[in-house]
Amino acid sequence: MTSGAGAGGSATPPLVVLERITKRFPGVLANDEVDLELRAGEVHALIGENGAGKSTLMRVLYGMYPADGGRIVVRGKEVKISSPRDAIANGIGMVHQHFVLVDPFTVTENIILGEEGGERLDMEAAQQRVAELAESYAFRVDPAAVVEELSVGEEQRVEILKALYRGVEILILDEPTAVLTPSETRDLFGNLRKLREAGRTIVFISHKLDEVMEIADRITVLRRGRVVGETGPSETSKAKLAEMMVGRPVLFRLDKPQVQIGDPVLQVADLTGEGKLNGISLEVRAGEILGVAGVEGNGQRELAESLIGLRTPEGGTIELEGAAIAGRPVFDIRNAGVGYIPEDRHEQGLVLNMSLWENAVLGRQDDADFSGSLGVLFIKKIKDLAARLVKLFDIRARSVDVTASTLSGGNQQKLILARELETDPKLLIAAQPTRGLDVGAIEFVWKQILDQKAAGRGVLLISAELDEIYALSDRIVTLYEGSITGEFPPDAPPEQVGIGMLGRAPEEAA
Amino acid sequence: MAAPRARPAWLESFVGQLLALLASFGIALLIGSLLILAYGENPIEVYRSIFDASLGSADGIGYVLSIATPLIFAALAVSVCFKGGMFNIGVEGQYYVAMILAAVVELNFDFLPGPILVPLVLLGAMVGGMIWAAIPGVLKVKTGAHEVVTTIMLNGIAISLVAWALNGPLKYNDAPEGAFVDLRTNVFPKTGLAGDLGATFGITPGAHLSWLFMLAVGAAIVVWFLIRRTRLGYEARAVGSSPGSASAGGVSIGSTQVRLFLISGALAGLVGMQNILADRGYLPLNFVIGLGFTGIAVAFLGQNNPIGIIFAALLWGILSRGEVALQISSQVPREFIIILQGLLILTVVITYQIAKRRLAARQLQRAGMAGELEDSDAPDESAGPRGPEETGAEAFEPSDEKRI
Amino acid sequence: MPFTDIAVALQISLTYFTIIYLTGLGGLFSERSGIVNIGLEGLMIIGTVTGAFGARFFTDTVGLGTVWGPILGLLFGALCGAIFASVHAVATITFRVDHIVSGVVINLVAIGLARFLSYAFFNGQSTQSDPGGPHLARLDIPGLSSLPGGLDRAFEGLSPMVIVAALMVIPVWYSLNRLRWGLRLRSCGENPEATRSLGVSVPLYRYQGVLLSGAFAGLSGAFLAAEVIGAWREGQTVQLGFIALAALILSNWNPIRLMFFAWLFGFAVAIPLRLNDAPVISLLPDQFIRMIPYIVTIVAIAGFVGRVRPPAAAGRAYEGGGGS
Repeated sequence: MTSGAGAGGSATPPLVVLERITKRFPGVLANDEVDLELRAGEVHALIGENGAGKSTLMRVLYGMYPADGGRIVVRGKEVKISSPRDAIANGIGMVHQHFVLVDPFTVTENIILGEEGGERLDMEAAQQRVAELAESYAFRVDPAAVVEELSVGEEQRVEILKALYRGVEILILDEPTAVLTPSETRDLFGNLRKLREAGRTIVFISHKLDEVMEIADRITVLRRGRVVGETGPSETSKAKLAEMMVGRPVLFRLDKPQVQIGDPVLQVADLTGEGKLNGISLEVRAGEILGVAGVEGNGQRELAESLIGLRTPEGGTIELEGAAIAGRPVFDIRNAGVGYIPEDRHEQGLVLNMSLWENAVLGRQDDADFSGSLGVLFIKKIKDLAARLVKLFDIRARSVDVTASTLSGGNQQKLILARELETDPKLLIAAQPTRGLDVGAIEFVWKQILDQKAAGRGVLLISAELDEIYALSDRIVTLYEGSITGEFPPDAPPEQVGIGMLGRAPEEAA
Repeated sequence: MAAPRARPAWLESFVGQLLALLASFGIALLIGSLLILAYGENPIEVYRSIFDASLGSADGIGYVLSIATPLIFAALAVSVCFKGGMFNIGVEGQYYVAMILAAVVELNFDFLPGPILVPLVLLGAMVGGMIWAAIPGVLKVKTGAHEVVTTIMLNGIAISLVAWALNGPLKYNDAPEGAFVDLRTNVFPKTGLAGDLGATFGITPGAHLSWLFMLAVGAAIVVWFLIRRTRLGYEARAVGSSPGSASAGGVSIGSTQVRLFLISGALAGLVGMQNILADRGYLPLNFVIGLGFTGIAVAFLGQNNPIGIIFAALLWGILSRGEVALQISSQVPREFIIILQGLLILTVVITYQIAKRRLAARQLQRAGMAGELEDSDAPDESAGPRGPEETGAEAFEPSDEKRI
Repeated sequence: MPFTDIAVALQISLTYFTIIYLTGLGGLFSERSGIVNIGLEGLMIIGTVTGAFGARFFTDTVGLGTVWGPILGLLFGALCGAIFASVHAVATITFRVDHIVSGVVINLVAIGLARFLSYAFFNGQSTQSDPGGPHLARLDIPGLSSLPGGLDRAFEGLSPMVIVAALMVIPVWYSLNRLRWGLRLRSCGENPEATRSLGVSVPLYRYQGVLLSGAFAGLSGAFLAAEVIGAWREGQTVQLGFIALAALILSNWNPIRLMFFAWLFGFAVAIPLRLNDAPVISLLPDQFIRMIPYIVTIVAIAGFVGRVRPPAAAGRAYEGGGGS
């Protein structure tokens, strides 16, 4: 039972113990009497599906939430951690899933903020200190660089350095690889191993079982707020972990309907724009789901927005069943038969302050069914539409009058889906359609997308989750830095697809 | 788990808002009482005398209504833009320009019979307001210039414009030689005025109560209908609340914003009509100023809701009329009324915020208890590229992103 | 037209530069901490009425003489501005009221409050005070005031506050860029979540930013009333607070660039006051000349606003930390 080169092992006393931690939010019991032990020199993985409570637990440890029950023991003494400052004072640091960096500041300014060492700033000395710190852990970073210009991997390094600069012994990483390319992930793991060697403790929150099996010394599995298992990589397997996470044997494949693939519905040629799109060409045919795989930040958002009309590309063409739509207004593109599931349902999907029924008609308020020539709305008809959608898609809401913000994430996504699919679009653009949803909602969304295919429609699926890409796609393309780097059949081995996501065409990989 | 008997969301928020309003009135009155006590007077007496002066007689009511009339128009103008997420601080300048145009119509079409002349004058006023409001609207859409700065600058320009008009092309020439007359236009034809309505109710003509008040109430109803029951109102609210989702849904933000400014300008145009068609019968250099700004206060007091605005305007009228009572019989200076009005705005705006948040939290609580939320709705498992939020309620705040 | 007219216009522009720059600096601190403050006009108004009162009060009533009297008067105006700004601070920071709504309320309340204070300060007059209030002795800028060709007039007879205002850029720039305080303040305006995650209190720095904006704007108003006009008059701020806001935006919230724009708009304000006879301008009717500062501001804002980048988190209510 080896656990890496570190000094960890069940013989040494734990550094940090979480005892019976409980945390409640309105309507949700996020942590239910959770016990956790962390030892020096180990990488401890905390896994579970969305909503299992892993982030919440760590936020309690980091002082961002007060626990409703239980206690925290550090080095044998019970401590009260009521703010991140307390946590850091106790040697606990955290890097969040969504980085908190000040873009216009330099790396050094970001790192020393709050710990400047005096009223007068001595930037040179600070930069020196940062450089030395980075070097000691083999982190490649330029202390004088402005954060805005850094890559995602580099930003993450800055976040980790922020914690190390404050002398933390325990570093919590929340879904660190969600935004990294495979090679950046490799770099990160190298850094983590070095930290482990130096006696640090890493808490690695993730739902990516491959990585967990690779890097972790201990694995704790949470499900619905409770610990359902604690084990090590040599004692278990991906499948067993998945089963623990979900509570039943996991079937990550739905049956793909067999459909005759027809003529192209969408043809994109050489799409360029604003540095984010560097010549994208792709095609979606009727009855086909094209999966665009790629780590976020490689132009997915810009691609989706260009297709729906929220963005005008600088060059290239977009054709919907032969008709050019690039640069046309959103209204026209939608009417031509395009539906849009945005990656951010709060920013581009629903108007949260409005009611469910008002959201149900968004985009169709001009239809003769729903408003008259003078602009008067037929509210009864709209509410009927909403009621129908609620029934059809099993949206849980007390009535169609509730405010959209009170709907759960899954129900919000269902509402958007229902609304978009109602118009029977020839092309459905689905960007990260199951982000933040739990298994039940994910299965529902996947089924709807497959139903579109079954009805002979075209679907452009943009996703950072390879599981999703594999579950749904008829063809897979990889997107890297604004262009398509490879095309793969649906049974291609994931390593190959991973190489495409890295930017290299498969033949070039050694 | 059976859901608790569903109370419609609108009722909840209505009751909540009413309670918030009452609470804020209470606080404002309380603070006001402290001030009154500092002057050695009895707050109850002072408040009673204010009430008497305004609602204690038919005359008083007449004054209250005619004071409220322009404020209703101004507040409606402000609220229309606000629904779309914009701030029309230029109602002031818009009504100045509107008055110039109205005067032009009055003096050049005086041969027309009343029933045609008056609507034409009102139309001219609305057009004047629309033109002046179109400028910041178009600038905002085309150049991104924030409407707060542009509308205020246009207010400044409008003041000079009126001065120029009255010193030049619109200057009066109907006064006898050597008579001492304050600078003004010619007197408008009798057929073009808003006649006194007060006589029918035993209200003194000095209150200048006219059918303009009814027009204001009618305008409020029209605005209510527009915002809640038409496409434009729907699109405006979507744009004001979530511009990203609105445009992803095909709504043209720029076109919506311009249309809102035009409607707002038209309403603003009618603000000055009480003064020139009812009170005076001509456009003087010393016309009533500040109605645009007071309109903003009334809009906030009325929660930017047309019905609320009517009540808020009446309340404002009551307080303004009450100044008279203070002047006559109290140690407390009349300026106290202004302080009270200021306190009211402050307390209303703040309690409105608090109430809104409480309500959102309660709604979320409800949804949670009814089993409508999922585990993945715990705040940390957030959707989309947003950062971690403290509690669910906060996450659903309308975009406060008003950049200058 | 005589050259001296231009020189005098320049002199006036320096005076209005002082007003616009000081107010703009106030706005700078507030907005860079993340709180949009369009209530600068209202804060100035409070500065005018209290500054006019303070100058007289400290000079005559307390008897501190013509140097310390006016100085304390100015400081009194600044203090009252800061106190009034605390309303905006509490509303936006603690109660998370929309920043612009609160700013509008500040402007509205200021007008009424100024009347009320005037009534109390100036013997029942509610819209103006007696003219001829005390002010600091005027001085000539050494060196520049011996320029030939009539230009010397531009630098003579200026209030010492003009120099103070111009020199302000040094401590302001230094505190923002070379002090820990400034780093933290700026990070509140760019990314409050990041700031808070490092244990720095966002509300604390924002309160300071807003109070500073009140102090500067109040100082500016006090200067206008006591030093420039010599009395308080209702409406004497003539939208200068908004012009300062425009200057601030155009300067991209940079204290050095703000000097240029503050002066530019100051010159625009000076035109109707002194250059009515200038070529081209003299062709316009008087009232149109008076519109020039406002037109200049609109054109500038519409033409150049696309190129500026406000502090990323300004205007967005910060949700963390429970508001206090």
